[in-house]
Amino acid sequence: MANEQVNLPSLLVILVLTGLVVRYFFFSSSGSPPAAQQAGRAGRRDAASVMAAREAAVVRLQQLFPQVDRRTLLWDLQRTGGNIAATADRIATRRIETPPITFQPPPPPGGQATGGSTEQTHGKPEDKPAQPDLITRYRLQGKLAEGAGSGSETESRGSSPGGGKTKAWSSNRDERQSLLQRRRDEMILEARRKMEAKIAAEKAAAES
Amino acid sequence: MAQSTAHRRLLQEYRITAGPVTEDDLLHWEALIQGPEGTPFEGGVFPAELKFPRDYPLAPPTMKFLGEVFHPNVYPNGLVCISILHPPGDDPNHYEHASERWSPIQSVEKILISVMSMLAEPNDESPANVEAAKMWRERRGEYEKRVRDGVRRMLGL
Repeated sequence: MANEQVNLPSLLVILVLTGLVVRYFFFSSSGSPPAAQQAGRAGRRDAASVMAAREAAVVRLQQLFPQVDRRTLLWDLQRTGGNIAATADRIATRRIETPPITFQPPPPPGGQATGGSTEQTHGKPEDKPAQPDLITRYRLQGKLAEGAGSGSETESRGSSPGGGKTKAWSSNRDERQSLLQRRRDEMILEARRKMEAKIAAEKAAAES
Repeated sequence: MAQSTAHRRLLQEYRITAGPVTEDDLLHWEALIQGPEGTPFEGGVFPAELKFPRDYPLAPPTMKFLGEVFHPNVYPNGLVCISILHPPGDDPNHYEHASERWSPIQSVEKILISVMSMLAEPNDESPANVEAAKMWRERRGEYEKRVRDGVRRMLGL
């Protein structure tokens, strides 16, 4: 009997304490959502911000090392805990490892399919429609008119006595550039002349 | 240091058919590739850009055709997919031998030669352009006609 009298108050104390603890955890701040839910949301936000940080790190690293693909970078960042410097160091010293096949990072936020890293670093999505032909591209219309008719004309336009092609290298920067440009233009114009001749021949063959 | 090594090496290689767009940026080149004879690409000239990493020649450049090139190993956006442009030790599928891939003893010239032989003989194993690969495999005539038409368009004819 004496035992019960001692136990009843302590039981009450325990009950009250439990009530307080429950209240503290579940109804602590009235008006705000329950704490458990809040914690879950925070965790998700953390994961999202970590992913965003990782993506930013990948972009920065790919500027430095365009040859390393995104998956490898994410794998290494995961191992270094998102430390860009450490990962960069490992790439530079060729200690970076290929990720296991099981490591499949989420697709990049840009929505681009996971292709080669280079595709992403190029970043130019489908510039197809804006592709002019070579004549327009290198503004060769003028030269095209000049060279029309006689094929040898454009080739003899090389300024140096040996002709443009024999002089392959110059110590002068601008001269180098113009030499290269001329070689390029000649190559295109010659290809076009040949193709024109071929088309003409085909037409003639078809007509006869 | 890495920068200057890259510069020295690229200046050496500049003598070949390709060259930098401007010498202010030696890491960005433009090359013209002639279509190999005896292939539907014959007679064509294809511009491509080469982008070199700062640690070239340790790492390979990337190459991208600037015009339309309909080929099984060229992505629809023009990016070229051949083994010589892949860094060594980076092939999880083991399609390629290490010797086929990039190493510092390769060069721009070798890349251009490889690309020309790729134009002549597509590698069917890992197509970059699935449509082209399928057409090349199943309807060769149609593929060749499409390539030839592309070549003429490129020359403005």
